[in-house]
Amino acid sequence: MSSRLLALPAVALVLVGLVLGVQVAYGGGTFSPLEPADPCAHRSVTSQSEGIDALTEQLVLIGLDEAACTLGTSREALTLSLAQSAEPSDAEVAALQNGLEAAVDRMAADGTLPQASDLVDDVLDQADLNSFIDTVIRALPDSVIDNAIDLQDVLKRAIADLDMRELLANIDDQQALNDQIQAAVTQAVKESLLDRLRSLVAGG
Amino acid sequence: MRRAVAPLIAVTVALVLADSAIVTLALPDILFNLHTTVAQVAWVLISFNLVLGLVAVPTAVGFRRAQPRVLGAVGIALFAAASAWCAVAQSIEVLIAARCLQALGGALALVGCLELLVALYGERRGIATWISAGVIGAATGPVAGGLLTQAFSWQAIFVVQVPFAVLAVPAALAVRAGPPAQPPAEFVRHRPAVRSNLTLALLSAALTAALFLLVLLIVDGWQHSPAAAAITVSVVPLAALLARPLARWLRPPPNVEIGAGCFLVAGGLAGLALLPSAELAWTIAPQALVGLGLGLTVDQLTAQAMHLRLPRVEHASWTISARHLGVVVGLAILTPIFTADLMDAQVPAEQAITALVLDAPLPAQDKVDLARALGGLLTDQQGEIPDLHPAFAAADIAPEFQAAADQLERDLDAQLERAATHAFRDSFLAGAALALLALLVLAAPPWRRNP
Repeated sequence: MSSRLLALPAVALVLVGLVLGVQVAYGGGTFSPLEPADPCAHRSVTSQSEGIDALTEQLVLIGLDEAACTLGTSREALTLSLAQSAEPSDAEVAALQNGLEAAVDRMAADGTLPQASDLVDDVLDQADLNSFIDTVIRALPDSVIDNAIDLQDVLKRAIADLDMRELLANIDDQQALNDQIQAAVTQAVKESLLDRLRSLVAGG
Repeated sequence: MRRAVAPLIAVTVALVLADSAIVTLALPDILFNLHTTVAQVAWVLISFNLVLGLVAVPTAVGFRRAQPRVLGAVGIALFAAASAWCAVAQSIEVLIAARCLQALGGALALVGCLELLVALYGERRGIATWISAGVIGAATGPVAGGLLTQAFSWQAIFVVQVPFAVLAVPAALAVRAGPPAQPPAEFVRHRPAVRSNLTLALLSAALTAALFLLVLLIVDGWQHSPAAAAITVSVVPLAALLARPLARWLRPPPNVEIGAGCFLVAGGLAGLALLPSAELAWTIAPQALVGLGLGLTVDQLTAQAMHLRLPRVEHASWTISARHLGVVVGLAILTPIFTADLMDAQVPAEQAITALVLDAPLPAQDKVDLARALGGLLTDQQGEIPDLHPAFAAADIAPEFQAAADQLERDLDAQLERAATHAFRDSFLAGAALALLALLVLAAPPWRRNP
């Protein structure tokens, strides 16, 4: 009688235990979407693009991490928030601007920020310059360009000049975005060169 | 013809009870073709179970003096006509109305068919055939519905029922059976078997998770075809067939058999809640547990609820009522849980997609274009599990980066599968809890009866 009482429950117990045991052993219960990484932890950033596109991508990815870390959120949540809301908050705008500036410093510190001469051809391809000036600039030795333009300084000036709200509003309009960034970078190059000249004159 | 009478009547019982869940796999097609909402399309399933659950007992009581062959024939004819009406329905309102009529005909047919099978086979075998046909019908309903939807259309589910039912009408009329013997005047009508029926109701609610939610997960969550889902969930009826030989071999007392069955259903549903991946193969073992549990419980509980209770047909109707109201309760409990979890799954899924796109080894401009297209798709397909392929199909990716884009698409689909699977987890666990509750009801000490 006891075997009749216990046999089927024992079989059921073994079958259920076996199935659940195998499933848990193979990751059952943890099969859920990817968790966002900690934005405050160092994340190495690479790019498949070249020239300015690669630099921009790296700055944006690091900048998003820095901004998310400041705001106490994830990089992904901040990206979605910026993409989905028509009006980003003041805190988001400030964090993004500071994050991009911090990204420039980080790239300069770890030696991944390119030299200005590495970007000249790319900039000239995109700029609508007189062909004579274009040719002259391309003919300049890299050392002259690198001595004249401190890229870290130019980028930080450009980022500080950028209207982040306008930039985010232009995200779907490639032409408007390019125009805005080009204007900010051109202005930053001018200001940087003028400052270098002023310091040279003052030093001379 | 005489040889075909009993099988035709048994098939009718199976058809009526298969209709409880037969449309599960057709719901996405119905949703699309009848231009309706998710909430409305759920009523195609709920209405049938609710009406059948509510009218089964009144039908048995109201028609107890009727000729079973006439009652059965009228019920089957009404069921056939309503099935045909379902097939030609052009709006969700008409389809729901037709399903209600189908359930009404089904209730009459089930009551009549029980007495007809008893007249043909004798009491014991007749009741056993009626119960078994019902269990087989309920277990195979989703499989049949999925295959028909994939092969033809959702309307085919209802069309194929018509000829069977049409043949069953003359078969029912051919049986010589008088109304069931009425108990003498002083006879005290037996009370319904509350414990067995309550256990049956709770177990039916739990089985809803396996038969309804699993097909939704496979079709909507993992984006498999209805046919693939139908073949996958055929594990449940196949495993249910193994239950009888197992019970005959181990010869447990009936309550031990039912208790072990409840535990197997609970274990199977817990297994579905703990799937390690979105591979169909991982659902097989948990489904086998559910099927084995179903085979050990539903027919035993039905037999227990009817055992030596008169009027027989009334107690049979209580079991029908318990099962179908259990399904409605199961849907009422589980659907809000999984729809809320599906909404909650949206944020982690979007964040996972964002992370993968940001880190994808693709040129920056391709990432921006893909992000823009994916954002549009996610907005357009709000509230459902999105199909991301159009974003990749429309993207202009350089040949050297096509492999990376293909990998990204696979990774994003995997994240959606993870999110969907995770979203169904709590519903399966709730189903397992219902099965354990059924076990508790069964194991509770005897209830005091009024003198």
